[in-house]
Formats: sequence, structure tokens, C-alpha cells
Amino acid sequence: MALEMSGSYELPVTREKAWEALNDAEILKRCIPGCEELEKASDTEMKAVVVSKIGPVKAKFRGTVTLSDFNAPESYRISGEGDGGIAGFAKGGALVELTSSETGTTLVYKAEAQIGGKLAQLGQRLVAGTAKKIADEFFKNFAEAVASGDA
Amino acid sequence: MYAFDYQRPSALDEAVALLRDLDEPKVLAGGQTLLPTLKQRLAQPGSLVDLSRIPGLSGIERRGEGLFIGAMARHAQVATSPLVQEVIPALAELAGMIGDPAVRNRGTLGGSIANNDPTADYPAACLGLGASIVTNARTLVADDFFTGLFETALGEDELVVGVEFPAPARAGYAKFRNPASRYAMAGAFVAQMADGVRVAITGAGQGGVFRWAEAEEALHADFRPESIAELTLDASDIMSDLHGSADYRAQLVKVMTLRALVAALR
Repeated sequence: MALEMSGSYELPVTREKAWEALNDAEILKRCIPGCEELEKASDTEMKAVVVSKIGPVKAKFRGTVTLSDFNAPESYRISGEGDGGIAGFAKGGALVELTSSETGTTLVYKAEAQIGGKLAQLGQRLVAGTAKKIADEFFKNFAEAVASGDA
Repeated sequence: MYAFDYQRPSALDEAVALLRDLDEPKVLAGGQTLLPTLKQRLAQPGSLVDLSRIPGLSGIERRGEGLFIGAMARHAQVATSPLVQEVIPALAELAGMIGDPAVRNRGTLGGSIANNDPTADYPAACLGLGASIVTNARTLVADDFFTGLFETALGEDELVVGVEFPAPARAGYAKFRNPASRYAMAGAFVAQMADGVRVAITGAGQGGVFRWAEAEEALHADFRPESIAELTLDASDIMSDLHGSADYRAQLVKVMTLRALVAALR
């Protein structure tokens, strides 16, 4: 089952700064909700362990996070996929675009997500809300990390 | 099911201490959500802390004008309680509409609200009546207790002890249930309280239960169906899934609100 989401955030930093942060594994690790490990395998690929908790369900996903379609410092694609063992699989990605604004930078994302396996069967009625929540949380965390000057 | 340790404390303090000390504990109340999840191996808690042997958690009593219902009160107990039927009949009716007889005989008030499933019935009653949730540490109004999809203000070592429901002048609940799961596709709790009208919606919001402010205002001005006949609910934050689109659910919400209002006026 596939889902599409979108949103936008204002970042109080320059586009270059925001772009750097988008490519910083340390910052991504802190911003991905439930991310326990994120290790660089190459410049564009990272190995990840993410724990996802939705109500009573708790699943640990092992997989990869990949950066692609670079158009520095304007846009790229961040995608991830993970295997949650018996729970099923999850994958998703987002096209992220940065544009300079009067107060700094506007980040716009268009994301899509897919889940399968047992999670999808049982979680149908929960998936849309959860996927949106995770995407929102990631970009909100990112906006906060950038704003607090950690980037 | 994965293996887990099982604890059955006999006092509230003991349960709280266990939650603090154990590795990845999970609270077991009625188990109507948790046990199916464990059977499907979709969660792997280190221990279960069963609340069923803690005395004094399942009473139903009058408190002031309203009611205090213990966290471990089963849905069937609330549905058939003469006291609930007398003081807040809409609440008894709601409890009688939850799930099926097996769920109603095991499921609990505290378990339902602590889980805060976006399609559960009890959150609508708590928010619709402006109830106060009493925990082992504090008392929270429902508006502060339900914080999002499956999320509440409860801390890791905090347990719901019971809920204080103020008595409404009039109240009604209506839901459109999914025929398979019997969860609400849309449910509305409408209550006329001493200080205004409250309309709580479950089953539809992406962030879980919420109050429909426009309907509250319109009904506060005039508590009759005509007041909300022209209203439409903005569908942008409404759930959309294989059971129904956001627009469809938004329309269902309105229909359920009207039905709840008619029930309240009966």
C-alpha cells in the first residue's frame, strides 16, 4: 500500500547551510525518528537501524538510507528501506527542495511510503497517519536541528 | 508470541516500581489490543505487568454530580452499571457499543485511553465530557491527556487509576462502525455541559480524537440539529485509507454528530 505526503518548513539559515546539513549523517541520524544506528557505507549510502513504535506495535527495521538525484544546493532524494523481520518491510523516500527566502531557506518535501507484510495487513487503518507522522517528525526535527545551530 | 516475563503486582506502588525497574516493560490491563499484537509477534516486551490483581481499580462510584470510574472497569461493567445508566446514560451506551462481547468482558477503560487508538470509543467520551484522567502521579484534563496518534501525556512509569466524568445536562454518542473490526470509522460524542457544548470526534482524525470547534459553537448557540445542518468538516486532517477516503469520513463525521445530537435530545 503506497502513500503520498508533502509539507514545507522554514529554516532560519542560508541554503548552503541547509544543504550541508541535509548531507550530514550525524544530523540525519538525530532527525530520523527512532533511529538507533546510522553508519556511512559510502558518500551516498548509509546502513541504518530504526525502531518504529505505533501504539502497541514495535518493530526494528534494518536497512539502508540512500541519497541520490543530487542537484546541489537545491534538491536531492533521500530514500530508505528496511526489513522488519516478521513484521514486514517498509520503504519510502522524499524529494527535498531548498529555495532561498527572505528569512532564510524554505524546505519543501514530497514523500511517499510503502509497507508490506504483516504490518500492512494488521496496520492498514493506521498506516496513513503513521507515515505522515514520521515524515513530519523527521522534517520538524531537521528544522529544529538547523535552527539551533547544530548544523 | 515471543517469550516474556510476567509480573502480577498486588499494589499500585509495586506496579509503578516494576515499570521503573524492569527492562522494556509493558502494562497489561484487559489485553484486548496488546495480546493480539503479541500473538502476531509485532511487539517484544521484556515483561508484562498485569494490573488485574491490584485492588480498588475497578470501582464505579458517584463523585459530586458526576462519576468516578476505575481504570480496570471492564466495558461490560460500565455498559450494565445502573449508576452509569442513571447519571450518564450516553456513556453506558458507548461502552455497550465497543467491539464484541468478548472484548467488552475483558477490555478496560484505562487500557483503552492509555492506548489512544485513533478509532477507539472511550477517548471520544473522555474528551466529549471534559473528563479528568487520574493517574498515580497527577490529574489531567482530557484535552491535555490525548496528545496524538496512539500518544498520551502518560509517562513511562505512570498508570491511569481512573477517570472522573462530569455529568452532562444531555449527551449522546453515535458511531459508524467498520463491520469487520467494529472500530469507529467515525464516531461523535455530543454533550451539553454546564459551561457549553462539547463535540468530540473519533475514528476520523489523523492525530486521533479531536474536538470539532465549529459544531460546538453552533450547538452552544442553539442545541438542535438545524444548527449544524450547513456545517462541513474540513477534510485535510482526516484519515484516508482503504475503508474510506477523507472526504467520505468527513461527511460521516457530520452524520454521526447529527445522530449523536438526536440521541442527546431524546
